[in-house]
Amino acid sequence: MEWRLLVKRWKEGWGEPRYQEYVVDADPDTSVLDALEKAWLGDRSLVFEHACHHGVCGACGMVINGAERLACITRLGDVAVGRTVVVEPLRGFPVVSDLAVDKSRMFRASAEVSPATLEPAPGRGAEGIPGRAAVRPEKLLDCLECGICYSACPIARTMENYMGPGALALASKTLELTGDWGRVAPALERRGVWSCHAAFECSVRCPTGFDPGGLIMVLRGRALRRGGVG
Amino acid sequence: MRVAEALREWLDVRGRSLEYVSFAARRATGLFLAAYLLVHMVDISVLVLGEQAYNSLLSVFHGPLGLAFDAVLVAALSLHGALGLCSAVLESGRGLRWRKQLYLAAWLAGAAVAAATIAVILYAW
Repeated sequence: MEWRLLVKRWKEGWGEPRYQEYVVDADPDTSVLDALEKAWLGDRSLVFEHACHHGVCGACGMVINGAERLACITRLGDVAVGRTVVVEPLRGFPVVSDLAVDKSRMFRASAEVSPATLEPAPGRGAEGIPGRAAVRPEKLLDCLECGICYSACPIARTMENYMGPGALALASKTLELTGDWGRVAPALERRGVWSCHAAFECSVRCPTGFDPGGLIMVLRGRALRRGGVG
Repeated sequence: MRVAEALREWLDVRGRSLEYVSFAARRATGLFLAAYLLVHMVDISVLVLGEQAYNSLLSVFHGPLGLAFDAVLVAALSLHGALGLCSAVLESGRGLRWRKQLYLAAWLAGAAVAAATIAVILYAW
């Protein structure tokens, strides 16, 4: 079965981006990422990021037929319109080449709040082996740092110094887990939670259900009840 | 970022969720209402030109064009108010679990208030 991929391409030195068509043979269950790799076999100049191929690393965030998705867990048959899939780079980040973007602003903002990385595993009590102290199982936070929330957020796309949904959600989780207000102080500045305008597209598009929009509002609510802004 | 570019980013709702469309509607109606306030300040300033000048301006708004404008104004006000209240609740960290239902209720309430007010205007016309 043939599919038409329309890929938005741009490289340094090009004045304007342009769309290039690739026709690939695949079944409807093939992921967009696998289809891109098929296209790449015929055009090694096509640039895109990927690593794990199963929705864990967050590298392959792209805009697929107008909505932000992870290309590795998006099937051609689920998103194609008349067997055509339009693939564009994430918005809100500078494009490095074709579908690869520079997500530095997100990593810088996250680093500012020294985010926690682990939380208690839900539904699991303390566990252990006989003769050893029981420990409460922990899991990694669900944020993949894929950048999809930045691309979906109308504020992150138009306000350069906004910390962004991902970093603010991590700040909210960090406060929940540590209770340390000093650690999340940057998130309570003007460029932090107060610049969110409740579009919630970050939460709708988040591939792991981390709910950045909800977490931002939780942090904002806690800050309001604490009586301290900034 | 240029204003036109920001507007395009905010208001492009293709493929977006109810929450995003609500955000865009808040922005669009907010801009419309701000523009209306400016125009309104200009039109009441016509008073300084005398009673006759002001009355002849008012007569423009007594026709079907004025009625249509009033209907759009009322719809924008109702929608902006309802979505704004919903947003204020969510932005204080409350009702997050029922986010989508709250936005849906806000749209329905905004539409109901607009319809009722437009009916009153039509009745009085």
